[in-house]
Amino acid sequence: MAHQKTPYQWSARGFVAPGVLLIAVLLYLPLLWTVYLSFTDYNGLGSPDWIGLDNYVEMFTDGDFLASSLNTVLWVVGTLIIPVGIGLAVALLTWNLGGGLWLRLPFLIPYALSGIGVGVVWSFILSSGGALDQALALFGIMDPPRWLLDAPLNTVVMIIAAAWQGVGVNALLFTIGLQAIPKEPLEAARIDGANGIRLFTSILWPMLRPLTAVVVGLSIVASLKTFDIVWGMTKGGPGTVSETLALTMYKETFVNSDYGLGSAIAVFLTVITLVASVTYLRQQLSPKKEF
Amino acid sequence: MKTLRYGILVILGLIWLMPAYLLVVNAAKDPLTFTSKESWIPTDFHLFENFAAAFELSGLGSSIVSTLIYSIVSPTIAVLIGAAAGYAIVALRLKHGFTWFVVIFGGSVFPLQMILLPLFDAYSRTGMFDTRVGMVIIYTVISIPFSAFVMRNFFTGVAHSTFEAAVLDGATTWQIFTRMYLPMASSALVAIFILQATFIWNDLLLGLTLSQSDDIRPIVTTLSGMQSTYGGAQMSTVLAAAVIVSLPTVVLFLCTQKFFNKGLALGQY
Repeated sequence: MAHQKTPYQWSARGFVAPGVLLIAVLLYLPLLWTVYLSFTDYNGLGSPDWIGLDNYVEMFTDGDFLASSLNTVLWVVGTLIIPVGIGLAVALLTWNLGGGLWLRLPFLIPYALSGIGVGVVWSFILSSGGALDQALALFGIMDPPRWLLDAPLNTVVMIIAAAWQGVGVNALLFTIGLQAIPKEPLEAARIDGANGIRLFTSILWPMLRPLTAVVVGLSIVASLKTFDIVWGMTKGGPGTVSETLALTMYKETFVNSDYGLGSAIAVFLTVITLVASVTYLRQQLSPKKEF
Repeated sequence: MKTLRYGILVILGLIWLMPAYLLVVNAAKDPLTFTSKESWIPTDFHLFENFAAAFELSGLGSSIVSTLIYSIVSPTIAVLIGAAAGYAIVALRLKHGFTWFVVIFGGSVFPLQMILLPLFDAYSRTGMFDTRVGMVIIYTVISIPFSAFVMRNFFTGVAHSTFEAAVLDGATTWQIFTRMYLPMASSALVAIFILQATFIWNDLLLGLTLSQSDDIRPIVTTLSGMQSTYGGAQMSTVLAAAVIVSLPTVVLFLCTQKFFNKGLALGQY
């Protein structure tokens, strides 16, 4: 295979060229420019001044940046535990159950919504005196917390809103994984008397491992970039207390016009995302060893 | 055991439907009598009037037309470019094909934040800022890595003898691509198209950065602006707008669910 003759090289180059050129000009070139800008002082007027690592020093000593990093960590951990956990639970509960497709449907509907759509609905529900507070009043809770105004509570409720959206796709992926498990070892385990928790820990969980790595990888990469839901619910506020890194980058760049600092934050976010992505890419590109 | 499972699923499912219920019920309330103090009980059915009002507010109507253009034209071009790349790498056995694949796919691994500012800068300087062409171009480029990824996978599953047989019949590489490989991949092409169209329809960040006027801005960006501007006084209209924005993707997603279940099980995109 590897040493086979390849007589269509010019034609092949022609077919691959549009994709490579577009990606190079509109993704890689801007990417390199951002890396360069992160070492400069620039506000869009005149030309960028090289200032070395100053932006990075400023970034790591800035309290708001550290708070925003902490919020991002909260997002990564929170969206791993809640949507991935509930997604797995829903997949396991509907597995081999009549009508499973219909029972999963309520979880899938929010997945098709945009982050802003989710934000509009949930900020309506969580507004002071809104739907949630009215429901709590029925149970005698007259003085509910200020859901979207106090940190870190606002980040926590936004993670729950994101979970509302994200459970469906995880449930779907885990369901596909469960369906792909060969029947024989399952039957054998059942005959041996394995059931419930035992069946899950000894057969299902090990079999789901490769898929779980993918789901976890996707979840981490996506949550590091959290922007839309926060923009739709608090815009990072009040002040900057519920900002994520993606939001801080946007505000520093397009609100404060501090292009250098904004670029430095983008570079930092990218490095973290790349480290997380490598795990996921390995899983996707390596030949499937399991199944 | 089974009853318990049904019980948990039904309760959990009802909780999950609650926000959607609240959205629809409150989007249907007359803005004149609307109160944010009684959200759970439907009072009147003013939904279509609210839809009409939402269309006028913030230019949502013209924004929908633009977004339709973006989410149809861009994925179509991206799917073809991605398929061409997959074809070059797999069928034509491009030298260092895997490296070129990584170059293309690598475009999708870093966060959009990394390109926003230079794009904004370049778009402003070249007159592409706040134009439909500019938006179509960037949405196309963003969609290429994923479509190349899927198409490369798909073409790997096609026996190379199909290609060789066509060559013996005297077909050119272009003819083999357009008359054999593309038609053969139609289900994968449709799947990528739907996923990318949904992604573009729901995009906020690029719209926020690269456009500003009512008729160029994509719909989600418009909704976001509408929420900040009218969220207090005309909440039911904003909620109605959220329904309009969300309906197409929800309907599309539900209609294609079986298709994706099958596709995912077979191909593992």
